[in-house]
Amino acid sequence: MKKALLAGVGLSLLAASPALSQTITVWDWKSGDPVAMSYFDQAKAEFEEANPDVTINYVMQPNDQYYTILGTALASGAGPDVFLLNGGAQARARFEALTDLTDLSGDLVGLEEFQDEDGTVYALPISIQGFVVYYNKALYEQAGLDPETPPQTWDDLVAACEVVAEAGSAPCFTLGNREGFAGEFILSSLAASMLTEEQQQAFADGELAWSSPEVTAILETWVSTQDMGWYREGANSTSKFMDEYEQFMRGDAVHTIGLMSDIAHWKQFDDFLGAENVGVFRHPAPDMAFDEPRMPVSGGIGYGVNKDGDNVELATAFVEHLASAGPIQTFVNDAGVVPANTTVDTSGLSSPSVISILDWLEPYGVTTAHANVTAAELTEWQRQSQLLLNGDVTPAEAAARLDEVQAEARSDD
Amino acid sequence: MATAGKKEKRVLWIISIPMAILALSCVYPVYFALNNALKDNRGYILDRFGLVQNPTFDNFVQAWTRSNLDTYFLNSVVTTVGAVALLLVVSSLAGFALAVLRFPMRRLIFIVILASLMIPVQVVLVPFYQTIIGLGLLNTRTGLIISYTAFFLPFSVYLMTSFYAGLPRELVEAARIDGAKLIQVWWYVMVPMGRPALITLGILNTLYCWNDVLISLLVLQDQRTLMVGIAALRGEYTTNVPLLSAGIVLAAAPIVILYIIFQRQIVSGIAVGAVKG
Repeated sequence: MKKALLAGVGLSLLAASPALSQTITVWDWKSGDPVAMSYFDQAKAEFEEANPDVTINYVMQPNDQYYTILGTALASGAGPDVFLLNGGAQARARFEALTDLTDLSGDLVGLEEFQDEDGTVYALPISIQGFVVYYNKALYEQAGLDPETPPQTWDDLVAACEVVAEAGSAPCFTLGNREGFAGEFILSSLAASMLTEEQQQAFADGELAWSSPEVTAILETWVSTQDMGWYREGANSTSKFMDEYEQFMRGDAVHTIGLMSDIAHWKQFDDFLGAENVGVFRHPAPDMAFDEPRMPVSGGIGYGVNKDGDNVELATAFVEHLASAGPIQTFVNDAGVVPANTTVDTSGLSSPSVISILDWLEPYGVTTAHANVTAAELTEWQRQSQLLLNGDVTPAEAAARLDEVQAEARSDD
Repeated sequence: MATAGKKEKRVLWIISIPMAILALSCVYPVYFALNNALKDNRGYILDRFGLVQNPTFDNFVQAWTRSNLDTYFLNSVVTTVGAVALLLVVSSLAGFALAVLRFPMRRLIFIVILASLMIPVQVVLVPFYQTIIGLGLLNTRTGLIISYTAFFLPFSVYLMTSFYAGLPRELVEAARIDGAKLIQVWWYVMVPMGRPALITLGILNTLYCWNDVLISLLVLQDQRTLMVGIAALRGEYTTNVPLLSAGIVLAAAPIVILYIIFQRQIVSGIAVGAVKG
């Protein structure tokens, strides 16, 4: 026992060694992901070759603790040189800790989520994100629908769901709204086509109320899909990530509203179902503000530079490299992201789904409505979306409550 | 007599049903992790709860390499062994002083130590982190060893004080009459006598240190321990469940082996500290 105690203390003191380094430290939650590793490795190798005295040190943090640890580290003046951020609220909350990267953003789209009101860019997006409807072509055929002619209008979609219901093999849509994410996705998908660009901007600025006829129509449309029996029972207790998407991949539902990058996207569905069995279309809506449906798009994830870091200049150069065409090309090819860098060559992508998605990006789509409302409104919308699905509130009641939150949140700004 | 036997049997049957359900609820997660660790992701998505059809060990290989589990494993071993060793020494000395020696405010000190058991780790995270930075212990194993020692010391001192207080004072007095200094009394009398409590404490603190994520995440940011590596296998929104299951099985294995080896001491040790202090 005594020897063991002494040995333990000795071993610990011998092995305990300082690990402070002069490297550029990069925090993220993705660098350990196998499909993203080639991108991170290439960016590191190229930068270190061009700067022989520099070492890039990726530190992958557990995602669920990421912003807690990042916040503590930044507040204590010990944050990383470079860190990854989600666009929107998470990025905006950290603008004060970041350097101005506006001059490096010339070739990038999806900047809105990383910009302040003056247009200053605080992080460079590496991907863009948006919503489309994926469908299972095999289930279309089984139901007697033409898999090569997806719905283009609201009436087409309603008719397709009626045919699917008659076939009775699977629900028309799979839906996971346990966290209110389905509510977010549907709000942005419908708003993209039902609101004009001016109305979108007014909604983002808090000048268009939830109880306005235009926004209330979105809520009513969603409730109508529930009334038409598009979803399986229990959507409010099904998680969107990944129960909803696993249902789609298992062939337990015909459609799902998915993403264009990262996860729950064309590459994941192609890999599981086969590219030939996956179809995609933009979510149509009743009373569209445009001739054809619009795809909601925003900046996905992006890198910022800690303004209090020890190597701001080098860190800025590395972030510029992370967002540049060379490494991003690898990210696109291996992980299937849709790039924020417009100079990246995407002609090598062969999936029919992503070819369609890239086509719809010209001209660049409308921003995602849910990402532009305040955090308080978004939280309340997640709750109200569940109540709407349950039939516990009417669209008018939900809109009235959201108006109150909108007014309160805007008065705080 | 026969009626009493029947009644007793019936009671046993009634008790055994909730006990069986409880046992099943403990065993099922182990089965779930093992079963899914042997599936590929496609197999898992297609049939999450079914028995594995084509077992594969790829997830174990991938979990080990992707999470740098070899390096993280070493970090976990070093910090756990270091912290547990320090905890045993310090808590044994403190327990000896509080239980055997007579000095002013002895009881007050013991109460303060007991009170510190009631402060959650989360409450002191920010000042703790700033202290670690201020002392230059960030990203050092030494920092993590000291942190674990600090956080788990109150319970350890309480346990050792309770145990030593139950030993006959005559042993200490006899040693003192024989001319032993205090440190000799501790080393030659109290440590051997306190062996059951020290073993229990060692096992409990090993579990705490090995399974910790939060403290390790803050102190050892560049290197990581095993449990942080496992936590990093979870994605932002999605998780490869078979891969995570394999990681959990790998991380739990050393602790399970430790439990099997020291099962008797752990079970008997549960009662230590519950006796008169």
